[in-house]
Amino acid sequence: MLQAIDLTKRYEDGNLALDALNLEIKPGEIFFLLGANGAGKTTSINIFLNFIEPTSGHALIDGIDVMENPLETKNHVAFVSENVMLYGNFTARQNLDFFARLGGKTNLTKDDYYNVMRRVGLQEEAFERKLKTFSKGMRQKVGLAIAIIKDANNIVMDEPTTGLDPKSAAELMQILINLRNAGKSILMCTHDLFRAKAVADRVGIMKEGRLVMLRSREEFLQDDLERIYLDYMQEAILE
Amino acid sequence: MIWLIAKKDFLLNLLSVRFIIGFVLCLLVIPFTIIVSVDNYENQVRVYKIEQAQADRELKESRVWSAVRPTIVQEPEPLSIFSTGIMTNVGNKVKIAFWEYPLFPSGHTITRDNPSLNAFFSIDFSKVIAILISLLALVFSYDAITREREDGTMKLTFTGQVSRISFLMGKLLGLLLILLPILLFCYLLACLIIVVNPGISFSASDWGGVALLFLTSVIYMMVFLLLGMFISSRVTHSSSSIIISLLCWIWFLFLMPNIATYLSQSISKAPLYDNVQAAMNNYDDTYYKEYGEEWPRAAQRVNMRGLSYNNCNGDGVEYLELAGGPRETPLFHQQMQIWSTPVMLNNADKKWALQRDYLDGLMRQQHLQQVIAWLSPSELFGQATDALCHTNANCFLKYMESLRNYRESLITYFKDHKLFESISYFTGQKLEDFPTRAELDAGDQDAHRRYERGNSEFPYLDTSGVPRYVPQPVALSAALGDALGRLCALLGLAIVLLVGTIVSFMKYDVR
Repeated sequence: MLQAIDLTKRYEDGNLALDALNLEIKPGEIFFLLGANGAGKTTSINIFLNFIEPTSGHALIDGIDVMENPLETKNHVAFVSENVMLYGNFTARQNLDFFARLGGKTNLTKDDYYNVMRRVGLQEEAFERKLKTFSKGMRQKVGLAIAIIKDANNIVMDEPTTGLDPKSAAELMQILINLRNAGKSILMCTHDLFRAKAVADRVGIMKEGRLVMLRSREEFLQDDLERIYLDYMQEAILE
Repeated sequence: MIWLIAKKDFLLNLLSVRFIIGFVLCLLVIPFTIIVSVDNYENQVRVYKIEQAQADRELKESRVWSAVRPTIVQEPEPLSIFSTGIMTNVGNKVKIAFWEYPLFPSGHTITRDNPSLNAFFSIDFSKVIAILISLLALVFSYDAITREREDGTMKLTFTGQVSRISFLMGKLLGLLLILLPILLFCYLLACLIIVVNPGISFSASDWGGVALLFLTSVIYMMVFLLLGMFISSRVTHSSSSIIISLLCWIWFLFLMPNIATYLSQSISKAPLYDNVQAAMNNYDDTYYKEYGEEWPRAAQRVNMRGLSYNNCNGDGVEYLELAGGPRETPLFHQQMQIWSTPVMLNNADKKWALQRDYLDGLMRQQHLQQVIAWLSPSELFGQATDALCHTNANCFLKYMESLRNYRESLITYFKDHKLFESISYFTGQKLEDFPTRAELDAGDQDAHRRYERGNSEFPYLDTSGVPRYVPQPVALSAALGDALGRLCALLGLAIVLLVGTIVSFMKYDVR
């Protein structure tokens, strides 16, 4: 479970990136965090991953405070970034092996790596190919495989569908559904309303560091999510 | 975690173009440098053997004690193959004189058929290592942190159970693992060339010196690795990091030594040797004046009618060898010798006071240059390697000091054996063999025959009892003691850079 309690971040230049964010993502839930650029989505992720410190408030992962026990919380969270680069001179399997070991998984076999790569839809011939020859979609799949093999309860994703072709994006969504069904909490920051409508259990819209809207799946399916989102964006532009 | 990150970095670097280029560069440069150094050393040994044989012959073929002025030829230092230090800039032989203290050697240590080529053989192994290893260390470490950030792998790494210190230590270990084999390869290649060369013989102490050189190189490499990592932890882009790293490299290796030399010359002015020489000439002029004043008194004491020689060789300073002529001539010279020896030795002491001041001035300047150059790790490395190879100024000064001590022991030998007062000091002919004026005036045929005698008719002196100069080999512990300050400074710099990198990386924005 991911929890943000009055999470606030003001950068050194005075910019208030997060303003008392309160959020809870339960096990077996896919939460889509929407918002314009600079709304505070990535800042939230960076705090959950302990890349930056909050000015005030708490970020909890499975009930453990990120600031108090940063290394311990990392056992409970996996991350997929917008642009999975990894190590180009390593093969997909070598990359997977390295990051799995960093995540504390030291007893995995080659078959385990192959299975998880199959699970994310990577072609067999790519398993032992150097990553520098991979397309963005293939790299994203390896990034997802790294998150899956870590077997953390929570997965944080920062715009993972950006630049993916429709087929790859659809495959990624299917994997997310499977992970959700396996009881994982998934926080996904994105602009992708189409995917949000397709798979999200809840959707939040952020604006100027605040969570200005929160809708469950039943609610946003009844409402016109696209209109609501665009209204908020329009307000942001006008302001 | 540290080992995992180190292994990853090692494997990635092993597959990189920079590793291949670095390795090939070492493969080309190191053998060439060592072969040139070995060739140079062998030439020095060849010259040493010739000059030593000549010096031995000169001593053995002395007929008078005034000719017994041993020439000391310095044996080439085997470790100079690794670091020539100042030895290429000073001579290799010293003629021990009583007239003056030995100050600097004469002769030459670099011998090529074409002297104009000497300038092209000035880069030795330690300088190549200083340039190559520092460059490789910076090339491998400048993007140790920035590249991970630019590639986005740093964020993913820190989602694992990795602390920042573990990450840094892993990076450092990985870089060491990739560079240590290159460095080790350079040394093994150098040692192999030396081992297979029959003309070079290394003692156990020399091999110990090579091991210490390797250790020094490792510390030196660490300094530049940590410098690259420190720079990488202070900037966000690899392009900035490489520019700053290369500027530092140029500053430390090429600008700082020249600045140190310039500043030391500006701050601590050394006296001109021409002035010292002029002051010494004044002492000599006084000596000659007094010598001239003593001349008639000595002539009067031996009732010399007029100075006449049959055979006489000399340098006008110390060496005098005569034979034949009237008996009053050796008696006169004996008188002059008895008078002049203490005056000459006293004069040498007075001149040495001037020379010592001059030498102190030079050493103050050199010391200041070395202290300023401590701001450059490559200079520290150079000073440490020179000390370990016994080719630094300190070793040279100790060598010259030992020669001055040898001169003293030689003078003591002459005094103890009353050689200065003896006529054998300047003639091989016995005093009674010289004809008297009365015998010559009487037209004695035998007296005239003795009057006509030449130097070559007399046997060589037995110089087996004359003290010989025994070079004192520099013990490994002494060389280490000499280099220890520099080694500690390098190690201290590495620790400062490590702490600086850790502190800097703790605040590093990994996003």
